[in-house]
Amino acid sequence: MNEITSAIQLIPLQHYIILSVTLFSIGMMGVLFRRNIIAILMCLELMFNSANLLLAAFSAYHSDPSGQVFVFFIMIVAAAEVAVGLSIVVMMKRNVESVDINLLNRLKW
Amino acid sequence: MVNPIPYIDLAWLVPAFPLLGFLVTGLANKSLKHKQAGIIASAMVLLSFLVSLVLFFILRSSGQNEATITLFNWISIGGMNIPFAFLIDHLSLTMMLIVTGVGALIHIYSIGYMHDDERVNSFFAQMNLFTFSMLLLVMGANYLVLFIGWEGVGLCSYLLIGFWFKNPAYNYAARKAFVMNRIGDLGFILGIILLFITFKTVTFSEIFSQAAAFPVGAPVITLITILLLIGAVGKSAQIPLFTWLPDAMAGPTPVSALIHAATMVTAGIYMIARSSILYNLAPLTLNIIIVIGLATAIIAALIGLKQNDIKKVLAYSTVSQLGYMFLALGLGAYSAGVFHVTTHAFFKALLFLGAGSVIHAMGGEQDIRKMGGLRKKMPLTYFTFLAATLAISGIPPFSGFFSKDLILSKAFEHSVILYILALGGALITCFYMFRLLYLVFFGEQRLAGAHPHESPKVMTIPLIILAVLSVFGGFLNIPSLFNGDSKFSNYLHSAVVSKASEELSHSTEIGLILGSLLLLGLVIFFAYRTFVSKSMIPAKDGEPMSFFSKLIYNKFYIDEMYTAVFEKPFGYLSDFFYNKVENTVLDPVVDEIGFTTARVGSLLRKLQQGNMSFYLFAMVAGILLFIIFILIV
Amino acid sequence: MIVLVILLIPFIAGLLLLLNRNAAAVKLVALASAIVSLVATLSLVFTAQLSSYSVIWINFLEIKFALGYDGTSLIMLILTSLLFPFIIMAGMKREQQNVSLLYALILFTQSALTGVFLAQNAFLFYIFWELTLIPLYFILLLWGGEGRRNVTFKFFIYTLTGSLFLLFGIIYLYSLTPGVHTTDFSAFSNLNIPANTQIWLFWVLFIAFAIKMPVFPFHTWQPSTYTMAPTQGVMILAGVMTKMGIYGALRFLFPVIPLGVHYWQNTIIILSLIGVIYASVIAFRQTNLKTLIAFSSMAHVSLMVAAMFVLNYYAVQGLLFQVLSHGVTIVALFYIVMLIEEKAGTLELPKLGGIKLLAPNMAILFLLVVLGSIALPLTAGFVGEFLIITGLFQQSIWFAVFGGITMVLGAIYMLYAYQRVMLGEKRPGSGNITDLKRIDYIVLIPLITIILVLGIYPQPVFNLVEASVTTMQNLLVPVAEVIPALPL
Repeated sequence: MNEITSAIQLIPLQHYIILSVTLFSIGMMGVLFRRNIIAILMCLELMFNSANLLLAAFSAYHSDPSGQVFVFFIMIVAAAEVAVGLSIVVMMKRNVESVDINLLNRLKW
Repeated sequence: MVNPIPYIDLAWLVPAFPLLGFLVTGLANKSLKHKQAGIIASAMVLLSFLVSLVLFFILRSSGQNEATITLFNWISIGGMNIPFAFLIDHLSLTMMLIVTGVGALIHIYSIGYMHDDERVNSFFAQMNLFTFSMLLLVMGANYLVLFIGWEGVGLCSYLLIGFWFKNPAYNYAARKAFVMNRIGDLGFILGIILLFITFKTVTFSEIFSQAAAFPVGAPVITLITILLLIGAVGKSAQIPLFTWLPDAMAGPTPVSALIHAATMVTAGIYMIARSSILYNLAPLTLNIIIVIGLATAIIAALIGLKQNDIKKVLAYSTVSQLGYMFLALGLGAYSAGVFHVTTHAFFKALLFLGAGSVIHAMGGEQDIRKMGGLRKKMPLTYFTFLAATLAISGIPPFSGFFSKDLILSKAFEHSVILYILALGGALITCFYMFRLLYLVFFGEQRLAGAHPHESPKVMTIPLIILAVLSVFGGFLNIPSLFNGDSKFSNYLHSAVVSKASEELSHSTEIGLILGSLLLLGLVIFFAYRTFVSKSMIPAKDGEPMSFFSKLIYNKFYIDEMYTAVFEKPFGYLSDFFYNKVENTVLDPVVDEIGFTTARVGSLLRKLQQGNMSFYLFAMVAGILLFIIFILIV
Repeated sequence: MIVLVILLIPFIAGLLLLLNRNAAAVKLVALASAIVSLVATLSLVFTAQLSSYSVIWINFLEIKFALGYDGTSLIMLILTSLLFPFIIMAGMKREQQNVSLLYALILFTQSALTGVFLAQNAFLFYIFWELTLIPLYFILLLWGGEGRRNVTFKFFIYTLTGSLFLLFGIIYLYSLTPGVHTTDFSAFSNLNIPANTQIWLFWVLFIAFAIKMPVFPFHTWQPSTYTMAPTQGVMILAGVMTKMGIYGALRFLFPVIPLGVHYWQNTIIILSLIGVIYASVIAFRQTNLKTLIAFSSMAHVSLMVAAMFVLNYYAVQGLLFQVLSHGVTIVALFYIVMLIEEKAGTLELPKLGGIKLLAPNMAILFLLVVLGSIALPLTAGFVGEFLIITGLFQQSIWFAVFGGITMVLGAIYMLYAYQRVMLGEKRPGSGNITDLKRIDYIVLIPLITIILVLGIYPQPVFNLVEASVTTMQNLLVPVAEVIPALPL
């Protein structure tokens, strides 16, 4: 266990932060600008994972396991969410023959 | 405290009989035969006449001047205590006897006059209700009970003017009468309220005893008397509220005789005479009354010159005579005014009933241009009508002479100009009355196909009784000039405080009387020449006339003026309020508040396009802004 | 305890009605319940001891479910319980849709109205005040005439907006009470609110009542609502609801913010007198009989509002008397309007005429009610208006003159309407009209009798309210020196 921790600590914390911010931004941009709903879901996952990465990194640096516990939580929630999300995608594909998010413009009611 | 007078409590029977008659004929409307209704109604009024007579003698023998009979407390709150009470004194007894006496005769006459109308029962019910209200008016011991009767007679007048309700013109006339009366009533009730605020009571005796503390010309008394005067002007058809009375002739003729000649229209005079103590304190108001009375007397007489409807002539003559009564009141000669009320009740009721008899005989025709030559066909009607005409013209020794002469001599005492104007009015009166008489009863019959006949006994007997009263009624009040003792004036003295004035010397008075008699004779002669010798018939409608005749013929365009100044603008104002203020300002403002809310909503709705990308973008932008906000602050 | 019974009778009866589907039985049960309420209310008059009821309701807010009454509320209670039997009878022997729901709603309204007049704290008052709106909303919406959706919506939103101000005012007053906060009326009236606060607080509290009464210029919901409403709905609205506004103002404004009232007194009187004349003038040119009567009702109520703000002895006596007399008269008027509409199929005046030829008895009864409405002496209307004008006169002669003009204008438009409908030649709209049926006499004769009896012998009503009038008129007297009234 300690080797993993020390291995993590080999890389400075700033690098993790920069990486996860980059990943988060990529995910966010994807969510905002992609029209394919599957791509958007994937980008969401990307954002989750960037947060996970950061949590794991901090957890290692502060020797506090609760961060890693949260990572598991998030992974489980993300899995559930993907299940729901993908099923919505399937329904959408069946109903409107497309996965373009702009076709779902009736959410105002 | 005065001693109670035995049996005076019976006074409540006087109004109770007509009320009973109203309830019986009104509620059993359908089951009573026409004749029964007439007999019941007449009997009730006759009964109250008899009770009034009994009361007269009771009061006389008791040696007291007045008695108050309280039935119950009507309104009693805080400092306001208004009992439902009757006052029996010389003034109210006089009025009660006139109302019930003349009223009974007119009721009896109506049995004959109305016999073929299908709504006779309603007619008698309403006539009885009128008598009841009129009795409340003259018997009330305070202004508010007087006001009950005051409005009650207005209501009955409204009902009876519009008795033949199928005709919209009659309905309009009825409404006009009621509304004009109500304008007066508004002034009256405000006057009563001011009386209450000033004196903390509305009972006559209490007010009059307190009024002594006020100086002559006290502003509050002047205001009160003017407000009361407005009521009297409306009820007694004086300028400017007189135009309803001629229109009121739409009602059946007995109604015109009872309500619009003998009783109701004199209510204003009664009320002012009753309030004589207050009016004596308000010289300004008395002067206003003189002006109103004289102007009404002359203008109405002028209009009467050119009227061709038998009832309209009589209506304008009523207005004119009421003007004389007002003149007497304004001169402070209240008892002279009430005396003229009395004689006028006799001869004017007679004139109207005679006119009714003529109309009855002519099969409903009222245009005097189509009558003529009725003297031989209807001798009884002719002679009674003649008696009344002589009386109203003021020929001695008929009743009108005594009452009118009293007023004229009072006017002379006041000023010569007043006398000349009043005498001028009297001469005009004489002219149009003889014009009427000659056109109706002299010459040849002008309406082809009519078979006039004398009226049945049930109608002629009241005529004869009234004729006797018209001839001899004046002897009630023989002035000292003829060695009389002015019984009537003295009788009223306890209830009505006339202004003291210097008596004219007998020689002046004789001169005045002789002068005026000479002029009257000339006028009668002139009328005879015009309408009998030359047999001139008034022009048909639409024929060209001189400017002045046209002005008179069209009643000085006063009705048209009122329509243009009040009626039409009121309609416009109503339309303006409804279409402009209500429907384009007030209501839309409220609606606008609602619409604005809706509009803001639809503006904000644009943000909710349902576009997922936009929502996400907005979310991120929001978060970023939030972070920036936190970082900066 | 008996006050609780009065409150609950209509409510429980209303619930029972919902279970029943037999139209005739439903109406009879409703009538029976209304009569029992009337008897119970009248028993209050004859019991010397004041009945009251109080339990803790919401513990942590110190809010009690407290019922009670004084002279003013008693008049209102009598009015409510007196009118509801007639309102229910107005539907008897007539075809109606969905009877059990309609009568249940009517009884719920009665219960809520009773609650308003019985409530002893502002919280309870407000709840009942709003509760009256809900059943009435459905009555108007489901049984109304043309354009009911929009009109009802407007009515509902308008009055609700006013009520929100009232709620704010109540919460504000609640927060001002010393110690443990409370909403009791008695605590409110002991608050000594500074004059400046009272001046703005006045409008916060008044606006709800002004809309309900309604006072010019907050009246615009009224004509359309009255015209569209079903007869029973409009009877409730005009007969009782308008008085609820007056009652609310008497309860809230005068004891709690006397200085504010004094400051705005002349403004409100002038507004109401404008309302009197404005409504009377407009009534004259209305072609729909129901709208005409709606405006006439507004004119009469405006005069009452003027009397309320004069707040001297005679004005308030007249006001409370007029509350009763106007309620009875207006219900009778609307009943006759219903008869005309039923028989002639229209209420447009130009199409009506000559009904007296076919239905003379109906014409006579209509005339009697009209006379009551134009305040002829010996009808109840006269006594009330005479006292009101006396009260106005004590304030200023011009108030009396303008208030009195309603006597003249009322005669103009009411007689115009009467003649237009009843007199003249028969017009096509009059059709085959039959005269009154027995049920019509059963409704109209008692109403007219009340109008006449109150006009001839008004004393019992005066005695009933005497005590509370005296307390009320004392409220404004001492403050006159503290703050000058708004200059005219």
